[in-house]
Amino acid sequence: MRNTPAANHRAQKDLQNKLQEGTILSHTIVRHPPEGFPTKPRVIGLIELEDGSRVTAQLIANCQLPTAIGMKVIPKMRLSRVNAQGLRTYDIAYEVPLQKPVKEEFPGYILALTGPSGVGKTTVSLLLSAKVGNCERVPILTTRKVKEGDQDEYTHVSPEEFLALKNDGKLATFTSIPSRDEKRLYGYRSEDIEKIWKEKKIPVIITEMNLLQGLASHYGRRSILSCGLLPPGKSKRQMLSALLHRLRDRGRDTEQQIEDRLKNAEADLAFFKDRKELFDDLIVNDDVDIVVGQLGGLVLERVKA
Amino acid sequence: MNTPIYLTGTGQTRFAEHWDMSIKDLMEESIDSAIESAECTALDIDMVVVANMLGEVASDQAHLGAMAASLLPHHPPALRAEAACASGAVALHTACALLESGKAQTVLVVGVEKMTDIAPGKIAAGLMGAADAQKDAPSGLTFPGIFGLIAARYMHEYSLSRDRLNHVSARHHKNAVSNPFAQFCKEIPAESISASAKVADPLCMLDCSPISDGAASVILSTKFESPIRIAASQLATDTLSIADRPTITSFAATKDAMRAALEEAEIDRTDIGHIELHDCFSIAALISLEDMGFANPGEGIALYEKENKMTINQSGGLKACGHPVAATGIKQVIDVSKQLKESKSRHGLAHNFGGAAATCGIHILSHA
Repeated sequence: MRNTPAANHRAQKDLQNKLQEGTILSHTIVRHPPEGFPTKPRVIGLIELEDGSRVTAQLIANCQLPTAIGMKVIPKMRLSRVNAQGLRTYDIAYEVPLQKPVKEEFPGYILALTGPSGVGKTTVSLLLSAKVGNCERVPILTTRKVKEGDQDEYTHVSPEEFLALKNDGKLATFTSIPSRDEKRLYGYRSEDIEKIWKEKKIPVIITEMNLLQGLASHYGRRSILSCGLLPPGKSKRQMLSALLHRLRDRGRDTEQQIEDRLKNAEADLAFFKDRKELFDDLIVNDDVDIVVGQLGGLVLERVKA
Repeated sequence: MNTPIYLTGTGQTRFAEHWDMSIKDLMEESIDSAIESAECTALDIDMVVVANMLGEVASDQAHLGAMAASLLPHHPPALRAEAACASGAVALHTACALLESGKAQTVLVVGVEKMTDIAPGKIAAGLMGAADAQKDAPSGLTFPGIFGLIAARYMHEYSLSRDRLNHVSARHHKNAVSNPFAQFCKEIPAESISASAKVADPLCMLDCSPISDGAASVILSTKFESPIRIAASQLATDTLSIADRPTITSFAATKDAMRAALEEAEIDRTDIGHIELHDCFSIAALISLEDMGFANPGEGIALYEKENKMTINQSGGLKACGHPVAATGIKQVIDVSKQLKESKSRHGLAHNFGGAAATCGIHILSHA
């Protein structure tokens, strides 16, 4: 395989045709791929595509002989090889889809608010419940100790109760956030969310990166109206400084805790950039009323559609 | 055959790793012994046909026709034939056509391959030239990989167990013990076959024919008679890529060539006493037996599990003799002629294919 740009170009002319689902007719593991390919064993299949044509291509999956014959596969674009000059060739490989339990019916929308500590998630969620008729806040389940200044947003449970709920599969999503003095578990009960749907309302949930990802895999990404809340400021530095002032004003945490929260906030801001696909909208929380108006509009728009 | 074509001379080098021999050295040794065994002299050779696949890839050497002719004192006209592993059969077929047309009366056919000069990865990539360079090669397939796909499908369709498949290579190794030209004159027990390293699942190292150097030459003539005659020479082709075929557990080219060869020789397949078939991989031996009509589909293995009236790869086949690509088709004819001379059988058959049987050549030899 000379693997020159022109040869690659010609070989990829029928790429479009290969972008079909298919069935494995046979497969093998080439233990010593020829020169020009990565040296590790390569799983290759003979695939019959939906239009009846056949192709030989790389298979993504650890196939056990001879069980994979007859299995359905889906096309995926993959880096196939890199030639001596550094030319990277991508080609279609076929993947045996994992048998994931896919939620078949669309359960409803969830409004998820993500943002660093102190950006105003709780305030926004409380206002949304109060002002926008069809929004309702979902109580957060937590094992953390009751603290002065909590705005009635948490349902406190013991760590044992929390773990029992988790093991019974009653939690839609959960996360553990370690702090200096205790290991705090946070989560949402599926039952709370589904009750709100039954009332024809939209559940509002406050999340962070792990909770959001858990929620997306539990109900499916399209169920989630995911909004990121950003502190005002043109640069990261200004945003962090705005957070610092708000946390100090709130007066709930010690200076030490504020320092920890700011460290986490940096990671949260990076998360918006790294996992763009998890967010539908990023909103700057400069004025709470404007944010609530925007979110209310977003919800109405979705519900109508 | 319009005119009787006689096999007057045969010669070959041992198939092995000949580190100290070049393409030219290998050709010279086999040509010399062919001329020595022939009724004619070197000067009676009217034309030379050279079979070779990897000269450019492995030795940076093309233009092998003139190279072979230069080994003869009178530099006769020469040409080269290439059809991957079937190069030998295609060269023989070309020689038969030259003889039948009257263009030549005595033709030297040389098959030569020098494979051990370059790294195995390069040879594997070079051999992939026998498949479709744009359809099969970009996925990272190798020839063991192609036959791994075929074997996996065959074992799935016909519920052939891995243990039964072991008998193919084991039998070939047993047959090679008495063949001084074989690369591996050594018996290997059946259970060791599947215990060897995996190459392309379900095929293991001992299911695959080795990389070898070697040359084989025959002299065919319409002028110089001998007891062995070429009764049929037939070629057939199929798609280069296995992805373009309706089935991969049977080779259409073998079926076509076999039908035409039996017709040309005017014999029945039950008249055949010896066959040398193309067992580049163990699974290929089974499929070939079935396609030639010696067994029903899926039952080829039965011929390896018992003794038969007809001998199969008595030389040791490609597995034990070695497989210097283009020399194989000619070496098969030499072995069949030896077997016919020894036994009382009248007809023998050499089955040689290239790629995944994209070219198949069948020669039937008859003993007077």
